[in-house]
Amino acid sequence: MDFRYTDDEEAFRKEVQQFINESMPPGWLGVDPGPEEETREDVGPLARQMWRKLGQKSWIGLTLPKAYGGQEAPLWKEMILLQELAYRGAPGMDTAIAQVDLILTFGTEEQKRRFVVPITRGEVKWAIGMSEPNAGSDTFAVQLRAVEEEDYFVLNGQKIWSSGAHNANYEMVYARTDPENKHMGLSVFMVDLKSPGITLRQIPQMTGIPAFCEVFFDNVRVPKENLLGEKNGGWQVLLHAFGAERTYGLFAIYNAKRYLDHLIQYCNETHVDGQLLSKDPLVRNRLAQMAIEIEVGCNLGHELNWQAIQGQPTVKTSNQIKVHGAAIAQRVANLGMQILGLYGPLHERSKWVRLGGRFSHEYLSTIGSSLAGGTTENSKNHIAGRAGLGLPKK
Amino acid sequence: MDLSFSEEQEMLWKSARDFLANKCPKTLVRQMEEDEKGYVPELWKEMADLGWIGLPFPEKYGGGGFTFLDLVILLEEMGRACLPGPFISTVVLGGLPIAKWGTEQQKKDILPKICKGEAILTLALTEPSARYDAVSVQVKAKVEGDHYVISGTKLFVNDANVADYIIVVARTADSANPEEGITLFIVDGKSPGITTHLLRTIAGDKQCEFTLNKVKVPKASVLGKPNQGWGMVGEIIQWAALAKAAEMMGGAQQVLEMTIQYAKDRVQFDRPIGSFQIIQHYLADMSIDVDSSRVSLHKAAWMLSEGISCAKEISVIKGWLSEAYRRVTAQAHQIHGAIGFTKDHDLELYFRRAKAAELFFGDADFHREIVAQQLGM
Ligand SMILES: Cc1cc2nc3c(=O)[nH]c(=O)nc-3n(C[C@H](O)[C@H](O)[C@H](O)COP(=O)(O)OP(=O)(O)OC[C@H]3O[C@@H](n4cnc5c(N)ncnc54)[C@H](O)[C@@H]3O)c2cc1C
Ligand SMILES: Cc1cc2nc3c(=O)[nH]c(=O)nc-3n(C[C@H](O)[C@H](O)[C@H](O)COP(=O)(O)OP(=O)(O)OC[C@H]3O[C@@H](n4cnc5c(N)ncnc54)[C@H](O)[C@@H]3O)c2cc1C
Repeated sequence: MDFRYTDDEEAFRKEVQQFINESMPPGWLGVDPGPEEETREDVGPLARQMWRKLGQKSWIGLTLPKAYGGQEAPLWKEMILLQELAYRGAPGMDTAIAQVDLILTFGTEEQKRRFVVPITRGEVKWAIGMSEPNAGSDTFAVQLRAVEEEDYFVLNGQKIWSSGAHNANYEMVYARTDPENKHMGLSVFMVDLKSPGITLRQIPQMTGIPAFCEVFFDNVRVPKENLLGEKNGGWQVLLHAFGAERTYGLFAIYNAKRYLDHLIQYCNETHVDGQLLSKDPLVRNRLAQMAIEIEVGCNLGHELNWQAIQGQPTVKTSNQIKVHGAAIAQRVANLGMQILGLYGPLHERSKWVRLGGRFSHEYLSTIGSSLAGGTTENSKNHIAGRAGLGLPKK
Repeated sequence: MDLSFSEEQEMLWKSARDFLANKCPKTLVRQMEEDEKGYVPELWKEMADLGWIGLPFPEKYGGGGFTFLDLVILLEEMGRACLPGPFISTVVLGGLPIAKWGTEQQKKDILPKICKGEAILTLALTEPSARYDAVSVQVKAKVEGDHYVISGTKLFVNDANVADYIIVVARTADSANPEEGITLFIVDGKSPGITTHLLRTIAGDKQCEFTLNKVKVPKASVLGKPNQGWGMVGEIIQWAALAKAAEMMGGAQQVLEMTIQYAKDRVQFDRPIGSFQIIQHYLADMSIDVDSSRVSLHKAAWMLSEGISCAKEISVIKGWLSEAYRRVTAQAHQIHGAIGFTKDHDLELYFRRAKAAELFFGDADFHREIVAQQLGM
């Protein structure tokens, strides 16, 4: 047993840290990883720059074959990269990367070259079109209809909650090709969001950021070469996609770690009644408890990464981290608001704001963390189920 | 990074589990709760012969020369089995301090006896204040010629009823800084002036009131340097917290496993209760507590074994498990229903031990304070 990073790994971590330092504006407080905050006007351009830069370094899809723009690096490198990006709150972590996994698993050679290479170069963004108004947790209830005609499929229906679709070039769309068969009647399409017949409507999230999109499909023609995997074989892609979201909970934990560290620094610098906040026993106790929860989560993350490297199943551990990470994210946000007191709810542009208003944002945004990418309840079902604790269905 | 265990460690794991399943049935565990001594000397001897008691001590004193991580593996299995007896007291509270700070003579005198299962040790630290801080050390040791004379009362001393040697933490000088002027003594358990009284606890462990009435000890029995004992105590508490956490880990693992099995077997409303979603979600939560504890425990133990400073990591795991183990056992009771609330069912053994273990060597608040310091607050 050895928890140390090797010299190579440590050197790579330093390289990543230096890259982030050079790429972020001075005094960067960090944003949440993912497409939500990249929707902000002040973050969008920086995010776009970052994808390009990451692409130029072949750091998007580090582990992929060189033919698709990767570096064939060991999995550990990618884990370090993602941890550092999340911990530093650097934008540019791309949900597209999860799509790469799907395309490489189910795509044809032609599809791999056509779709994966631009992603790894940092040139295109992808949105995920799973959810519909009546298909949330129950993904197999997808109704968006795809009808085969000549050399294309015609798509009619709608998606909802597609994060950042307005900034994306493509969407991975889960559609119904057989209305009679709930589970075996789905197919997956790689849809160019500029296709005629697509209308987008942004929906503001509780944070005020309009990152959710409704995507309406009105006789949208999708060429057959954009079908991913088999017709009616979408269930396989779907199950794989749940697995590809393996790292989601870890992002939440490293993101929370940054927020906690900001909070500790704040308490080490802020006096109340002539005493440093960090000397207040109650404050110390609560911050330390958060630190323990985060550290324990990071440790479980090591285990998850190790399982992935060993090629072991990760369903149980990744869902455990998803549940734990989402809860931590919400608790650290709440703790920050309580410590900041009346300053907590101030908007980031208020002249009295503390810590850049990050905690008021975080307090709102982390409500989504126990929903996005599968709800906490859904994750617990997975943990309990066949691939986890093995509890019976009925 | 390599999170796998060596073949040797896997073997230790398996042989410990098999041995304890065989030699330490719950009937024995229950019997020992009522027993005056609280352990079975024959079993103790067998464990010594297996090399368990000498596990972390240098080979030249008859030990196995294993690491703390190996010790943790063994302790997890002991926790799983609810093994009664003075193992942590002897090995961690008594033996390891002597191995680290003892004179050559002290080591030669005592360590081989420990390894052979011929000497039981413990540490007498806490007093009626029941705290793990330096201010609370009030028992006095005064120099008289070539001896010290120690008087005062220690409380919550584990296994003092059967101990051959007791490391007594006493105040030898008064100072404005309470951490100065504390000295550790290796006291012979048969010294005149010592009395021990067993205290009854919910966990059925052997805690004692330990009174020293003008107990005379030679100067050669000082462990380490006079007046500088508090730093050593701090380190011993860390080891003990980690060792206790390992026992708790094994208990939590066992409780999770037995509860999953129960949920599969117990039928109500014509279906196994494990098919009810609320029971599944309880178990999912319990598994998060257990699995996150395991890797955190091993990380801290590995660091200690490698000589990497790990005060924070030890407090992270003891602080976390102190609450997680209690949560897991309480939730297990809910899932077991009335049967788990009986004395006949094994679950109650773990529930009682979880609380006692939580309070030993620093509860969650104690360790959160250490984490706060380690974070630079
Ligand atoms: C910030 C954010 C970003 C998102 N981004 C995307 C995206 O990019 N693309 C996309 O397709 N979707 C996205 N989503 C949608 C997300 O995947 C869904 O919100 C999620 O799957 C839950 O679906 P729902 O909202 O319809 O809730 P429902 O499925 O209606 O669930 C409502 C409640 O019922 C519970 N529930 C449902 N089924 C079960 C069950 N079997 N057992 C127990 N409880 C159950 C849920 O846990 C929840 O508590 C995003 C959501 C959020 C919040
Ligand atoms: C202190 C005490 C005093 C008692 N006194 C009496 C008494 O005087 N007279 C008497 O007749 N009984 C008495 N009982 C028994 C008590 O009524 C039962 O313990 C209780 O009904 C639960 O039954 P059970 O223990 O068999 O657990 P089970 O019914 O086996 O339940 C085990 C677990 O499964 C869960 N579960 C079961 N069914 C469902 C479901 N449909 N959905 C979700 N979860 C489910 C339970 O909530 C529990 O967590 C007493 C129990 C206790 C602890």
